[in-house]
Amino acid sequence: MKRRELLKLAAVTAALLTTTALLASGNAYAQDKKWKIGFSQVTTIEPWRAQFNKDILAEAAKHPEIELIVTDGEDKTEKQVADVENLIRQEVDALLVSPKESAGLTGVVQQAIDAKIPVFVLDRNVETKDYTQFVGGDNKLIGRAAGEYAVELLGGKGKAAGNVVEIWGGMGTQPAHDRHDGFHEFTDKEPGIKYLLDQQSGDWKQDQAYNIMATALRNNEKIDLVYGHNDPMAYGAYLAAKDVGREKDIKFIGIDGLPNEGVTLVNNGELTATFTYVTPGAEGLRQAIKFLNGEKVEKTITLPTEKITKENAAQILKDNGL
Amino acid sequence: MSILNILSRTKLYWGLIAIFLIGVLGSPISSKGNNIFLSYGNLLDVLRQVSTTGLIATGMTAVIITGGIDLSVGSLMAICTVVCAMLLTVPGVTPAVVLGVPTVAVVALCLGILVTRFVFLNIEKSRAGPQATHAIRLDSVRGLVTPGIVGVILCSLVLWFLLPQVGSKFGVVGVLLVAPCVGLLFGALNGFIIVAGRLQPFIVTLAMMVTALGIARLTAGQNNAVLPVYTGSNATADFEMLRSLVFGVIPMPGLFFLGAILIYGAVLRFTPFGRYVYAIGGNEEAARLSGIAAGRVKIATYAMSGLLAGVAAVLYVAQYRQGKPDAGAGLELDAIAAVVIGGTSLMGGRGSLIGTFCGVLIFGLLSNILQLHNINSNLQLVLKGMIIIGTVLVQERNAVDLLFYLRLAFAPLWGGQAHKETTAAKRPSKETPSLNLGGNKK
Repeated sequence: MKRRELLKLAAVTAALLTTTALLASGNAYAQDKKWKIGFSQVTTIEPWRAQFNKDILAEAAKHPEIELIVTDGEDKTEKQVADVENLIRQEVDALLVSPKESAGLTGVVQQAIDAKIPVFVLDRNVETKDYTQFVGGDNKLIGRAAGEYAVELLGGKGKAAGNVVEIWGGMGTQPAHDRHDGFHEFTDKEPGIKYLLDQQSGDWKQDQAYNIMATALRNNEKIDLVYGHNDPMAYGAYLAAKDVGREKDIKFIGIDGLPNEGVTLVNNGELTATFTYVTPGAEGLRQAIKFLNGEKVEKTITLPTEKITKENAAQILKDNGL
Repeated sequence: MSILNILSRTKLYWGLIAIFLIGVLGSPISSKGNNIFLSYGNLLDVLRQVSTTGLIATGMTAVIITGGIDLSVGSLMAICTVVCAMLLTVPGVTPAVVLGVPTVAVVALCLGILVTRFVFLNIEKSRAGPQATHAIRLDSVRGLVTPGIVGVILCSLVLWFLLPQVGSKFGVVGVLLVAPCVGLLFGALNGFIIVAGRLQPFIVTLAMMVTALGIARLTAGQNNAVLPVYTGSNATADFEMLRSLVFGVIPMPGLFFLGAILIYGAVLRFTPFGRYVYAIGGNEEAARLSGIAAGRVKIATYAMSGLLAGVAAVLYVAQYRQGKPDAGAGLELDAIAAVVIGGTSLMGGRGSLIGTFCGVLIFGLLSNILQLHNINSNLQLVLKGMIIIGTVLVQERNAVDLLFYLRLAFAPLWGGQAHKETTAAKRPSKETPSLNLGGNKK
């Protein structure tokens, strides 16, 4: 019995030593890189975020002098704050962070700034002005582009008419409000446009949008246009219409325009149009490297949007190798 | 007692030390040549990060020792973060005030009554001496009137303190009073339903988890997924104190966590209440028959669990500068995992808060180490799951036992009558395991 316990003890000790050795050897390889850049991402299991990560990793591959550390916040504020704290301890040369919420991440971003780490805030801003740069899309701008195109689809300026279903993203989120406000800046000027739903939120999800649209189709004889705050929701609405055989009478507009998502849907003729909400991944990293190399960077960079319709969808897919 | 025996008795601490050693020895070295893991800042980060889960796990430990479980703590914390953030940032009569202030009044009233009665009862008991055979009763003046008066006085004192703050925004002391009381009330409600309705704690607290999430969302309102708290601009600057370092040494949340562990640990170990908690977990019926008011003790543990969730909520708001209805999502499971890693049995009757403290730290250090090495986050989840299983296995059985069961299970594959007999001879435990396997003919 005693010998067995000793064996056990030996096994545990051996395991401990191996783990330590493995961990220690893991550290050794990356020492020759010039810059160590940390990127704290919110989550990796959402299409737009996945594209975001893909973009930043693709950009990092073009710069052999940097080592990029990507952390995953698992969609929790607590985890993301811990991630950023961790990156600060690792003494990264620059910190890129795409906050889950403005309020939740402000404290730790301030902490990084206090530790003299240049901070690049991507996509969603924080409540401090001491960061180095903010890179993000402008949801209002995209909403406006969508609104302008919607008016065009429904008959043109001044004579546009039709019933519009708008499917909101998360009710409490700023992007949803911005996408709504921008859209309505154009559509509200048209007396012919009627809105069928009152602030129905699909929480950015395809299945919830499907349910909202199914109800809307049952309650309304005539629907002319669906505006989803993102592509999956617009597609969910499309599926609901298809299931009752009415998809041909309705135009579907979405936002985000990811190559393997919105653009493909437009190319298939399922969505009428989508507006790209470019991920700040590539641009953010480019700016950070520029800054590290001693160049000056602007305080804010607003990424432009692009309208994707049947005409240019195929070309964009080809450019992305799809 | 051999050294090995001592080693296996204290294996939890050795586990903690082992994790720590792995962290120190394997830690990446910063550009200035410092050991990153061992740096004071990093260790403080860990302590701060585990505090919320730790506070929840502290309350959870006592509940689990009684043989129950509390799944509602995450949602209770969510309510409390929303209440806390709203009180701090929105002046006037808000849903948070409507929910919070009467709750504090009720809690103060009950507390006054109960404490006074408790004091009188014990005076009476000591007067009667240890030989007293008759049940001790209080007359109506001391049993009802005086406690009532004390309760009302306490209640009005609290209201006198809180009501002026309604017009403006609440201060630090105000929210530190209201949020835990809200948690306490919901926790006590949990306990009351479990005891009075004789229902499974699992179901009752599951229902409370859903209900509380709804209440949190209702309190926050449709358009407020997040209630940001910016100390100094929309809330009192004093609130910053709750996320700062005390004397520049230890973070405030960590202090709360350590305090809770020490106080609650002492209560569980040294007071009759603590004995009752263990007794109920061991055998509730026996405890009841030997004169323990099992119902009251259980209600108290659930109430404490709620209270600590409330405290955790205030610290959450301070740390993340926001209150939101999904703040504590999944937290109850983290807490349960930490409690179980700490050696507390889900069957009840066994466990300790020191164990929970180690469990929480093991979990926190592990996350920290994995993150310092930038291990893929999905792989991290897998590793964490495996470590929970591994630790609990080591806690519950020793490895020799395990090997035996494994061999028994695979005996039919290896075949051979002779082999079966040898394993049977080596079997360490006394009773026959009731495993009926296909190849194992009798």
